[in-house]
Amino acid sequence: MKLLSDRFALITGASQGLGRALALAYASEDVRGLALVARGKEPLQKLKSKIDKIAPATNVVIIQADLGSITDIERVVAITLEACGGRLDILVNNASTLGPVPMSYLLDYPADDFQQVLNVNLISPFLLIQNLLAAMIDHGGSIINVTSDAGRVGYPGWGAYGISKFGLEGLSQTWAAELAETPVRVNWVDPGNMNTAMHRGAEPNEDPTAWADPAAVTDIFVFLASAASQSVRGQRLEAQSNWRNAITKG
Amino acid sequence: MLLPPGLPSTKNIRKRAKPVSVHRTVPFHLPSELNADRPPERRGLARDRVRLLVLDRNTGKVTHTRFDQITEFLDPGDLLVFNSSRTLPATLAGRLGHSRSAVEVRLTELLPDGTWLALLLLQPAILRGKDVLTKGLRLDFGRELSCEVLEQDQRIPRLWKLRFSKSGTEFLDSVYRIGQPVRYRYLSAPWRLSYYQNVYALQPGAAEMPSAGRAFTWRLLLQLRHRGVETAAITLHAGLSSYLDNDLDRQHLASEEEYWISEEAVAKIRRAKDSGRRIVAIGTTVVRALESIAAESGGEVRACHQYTQLRVTADYRLQIVSGLLTGLHEPEASHLDLLAAFVAPGMIYTAYNEAIEQRYLWHEFGDLNLIL
Repeated sequence: MKLLSDRFALITGASQGLGRALALAYASEDVRGLALVARGKEPLQKLKSKIDKIAPATNVVIIQADLGSITDIERVVAITLEACGGRLDILVNNASTLGPVPMSYLLDYPADDFQQVLNVNLISPFLLIQNLLAAMIDHGGSIINVTSDAGRVGYPGWGAYGISKFGLEGLSQTWAAELAETPVRVNWVDPGNMNTAMHRGAEPNEDPTAWADPAAVTDIFVFLASAASQSVRGQRLEAQSNWRNAITKG
Repeated sequence: MLLPPGLPSTKNIRKRAKPVSVHRTVPFHLPSELNADRPPERRGLARDRVRLLVLDRNTGKVTHTRFDQITEFLDPGDLLVFNSSRTLPATLAGRLGHSRSAVEVRLTELLPDGTWLALLLLQPAILRGKDVLTKGLRLDFGRELSCEVLEQDQRIPRLWKLRFSKSGTEFLDSVYRIGQPVRYRYLSAPWRLSYYQNVYALQPGAAEMPSAGRAFTWRLLLQLRHRGVETAAITLHAGLSSYLDNDLDRQHLASEEEYWISEEAVAKIRRAKDSGRRIVAIGTTVVRALESIAAESGGEVRACHQYTQLRVTADYRLQIVSGLLTGLHEPEASHLDLLAAFVAPGMIYTAYNEAIEQRYLWHEFGDLNLIL
């Protein structure tokens, strides 16, 4: 039996970058089911075909949705709950939008874009956790929010993205505190610099080959999704550091 | 059968000298300002701060309190049974395939053969004779979703069987893209679907929110658990509460409703029953599910997935459920009939009178009634 064989996971932003790498990593651990959410249907379909080959026992449901929309979130929740039979084990809030590229200073940031970034990066994790809690609270579950260094330091030019991640860090802490007495665990992970389309868009003048392949940072996400991390809760961890040593057992 | 014990004097109650039958009797007149036209959160209240009328089954004593005080009326060991069915956006706007006339579909229940039972509402112009609903019609909804109209329901003729062009996840995806929650006229605004969900809702399938549990917040649920009050969940996909047809609505016929009871819920219910602890249904849908299976299984609950049409009435002997949390719904004989399975009709009548006098709010966003 592999690490995740009895578990069902929802991963947002699953069509590319880290989300896609996580879907493949979970599939290779024989996850029972995957609900994969992204804006683009075609890349999701391709990913599903790939997973169907490498992990035929995994039930993969793809959901095309814009997480900036509340009605889309309700649809994601309903389809996920139907697919997992009312029992969800893992929720990875990975989807993020950078906002307009090239990124502009807050001084020049369009208000509508600011709102949209907060909707996707902050409101959607809040709503997904809130709406999916019922499927986790009896049997236990692991919520993993993907944060960023830009959620701790206010870098000039990282605009609404960084601010949304500051919000996500607070959201994660508050959820962790409110759920402390329940079997639902909340942790948040900074994956570090990765060679993804989003990061290349954020820093077009940097050399992306110096950044990690998203497939190389999935270990911590598998660990946090598995029973091995049962006692790990309320922690901020960094995927590209010596995170096993950083963990304080709860 | 429930009739008022005597004609009340309050002006809120419509006098009827000679009630014809229970179905024709409307013992209460509900002033329109007592319709909850918006969710509590949108009238300045926390979700769990609606009012609660507690009715003692044995003495008829009525206590007026606030829902978040419910813990005071529950003891450690009491088992609350919830209906975890999630509300669908069950209203679909469609067009008749041949004439393109507008038609509204309200999904009621997914049947075992994969077809849907649904209420079909034609525009008034069409009712005047331009179009007639018949078997074989095609309805289009956009988003590549369409359906064929199969036969009319025998028992509830406003309902039709429909076969949709999609099923499973694809069907759900389309319904959530185009559907709206079933809403009634007393609402002040078209509240979005999320207002029609209980915090603990799981699998989608209810045509209307099982609204008795709406006031529960996570904070309150966690508080109850902390106090040793147990919880269990079943799923019953509630159908429509109205067929928008006065005669049919007076009969209050329940369509076939699909329900599941898990092994886990059965174990909790059996343990509570065996040790003589109270089993409190959160909503009449829970009463229907638990009493349906008990009626079939010699008074015991067992894990199952099936359909029920059970109507609990005054002379029904409850086998499992000992208490009920319910909303204040249409003051029609049928709802009171169900309550009369729990308490003597006179007590309900008095309690409901008080609820009206005390300006309790009615319907899915309104106040609540706990019968213990």
